[in-house]
Amino acid sequence: MDFTEPVVLVLTSLADGPKHGYALAKDIESFAGIKLGPGTLYGALSRLEDRGWIEALPAEDRRRPYQITSAGAENLAVHLRTARQVAATGLHRLEPKLAP
Amino acid sequence: MTRSWPASLLFAYPPDWRARYGDELELLIGDLREHGCNPVSMAFDLLRGAAAAWCRTRRGFVMSERSRHALITVLWSWVAFAATAAWFGHDLGIYPTRSIAQKIAAVHQVVPDAHHVLLGVGVVGIAATVIAAVPFALEAARYARSHQRNSIFTLMAVPPVTAAIWLGGVQFTGRANSTSDLTFAVVWLMLGLAGIAGSAQAVSAIVRTCEFSRTTWRIGTSAAAAVTAAMLVGTGATIVWGLAYRSSQGHVAGASSWLVVTAIMAVTTARAVIALIGARRAPAPEPAVA
Repeated sequence: MDFTEPVVLVLTSLADGPKHGYALAKDIESFAGIKLGPGTLYGALSRLEDRGWIEALPAEDRRRPYQITSAGAENLAVHLRTARQVAATGLHRLEPKLAP
Repeated sequence: MTRSWPASLLFAYPPDWRARYGDELELLIGDLREHGCNPVSMAFDLLRGAAAAWCRTRRGFVMSERSRHALITVLWSWVAFAATAAWFGHDLGIYPTRSIAQKIAAVHQVVPDAHHVLLGVGVVGIAATVIAAVPFALEAARYARSHQRNSIFTLMAVPPVTAAIWLGGVQFTGRANSTSDLTFAVVWLMLGLAGIAGSAQAVSAIVRTCEFSRTTWRIGTSAAAAVTAAMLVGTGATIVWGLAYRSSQGHVAGASSWLVVTAIMAVTTARAVIALIGARRAPAPEPAVA
């Protein structure tokens, strides 16, 4: 599965506990500064649920929370480690150009 | 809560997607509107999401559980039927003795030659199974690769590997000429039955797990119908042949195996027929939303 930005953001948000749609949108906005639209958010949720990386919990007051599965956590961890390595390499290579 | 106008765009989504996520998405739209989210940007986002959902819908086809179960039931019924018919049909040409078989054929000329009918049933059934197996195997492999599910490749290897091992053993037992060799042949026959059951189980697991296109499901359903029709013909021929045999003999001695075989054939055929009828009554296949 491709790690699109919404997918990574949703998994990262769910990494600290189950959330429903609105809570996810607000959490993602708070830690990433990105406002995910409802269509984008639920597109990511449906793909992730199909892959078994998240699962739906019983609805609370018509709002259904989702939680990350162990497979989702493992895949997110692998992706974030790679991203960290890429970010470190990129920043290191940019240092000479950005130095005053 | 008044419905927000962007929520009306939910109708742009595929019906099955809407059935699963529609209520939740509508609530989220309402929450976002209450907190001042721009409805126009939300509307564009929803339309983009709907387009993406439709694009994914075209990739696969989710069969109803009943239809999926029907194919698996027909497969198992066919396997049990074929094993029984192969055992019985193997001896039919000389059953219970060559002279009696000839006598039945002479006395009851309209009675179907069960030996050749069962042979024909076997050919039709195996051909239908092989024809259906090709698209299912290709799409299962594609699914396994895209979902990184190596266990599916392992399951796919079970039928050909089992068949190769068993046929290799047959080459050996075919030359059996001692008591120990014959014992080995019987054991090998039992192992063959276990192999057939294991292969059917592996195929069932693949059918239960993977996503297949609409065309592949249609091919599978057509093959199941052809196999079931062949089973009906085979069962009918065996029943008529057995009744002719009994009337030619004037007693029922030696007919016990025919009764058992007929019962197994009738039960497996009935199971397949009921499963197919049940599948026809199931809701229409749904487009996949994954």
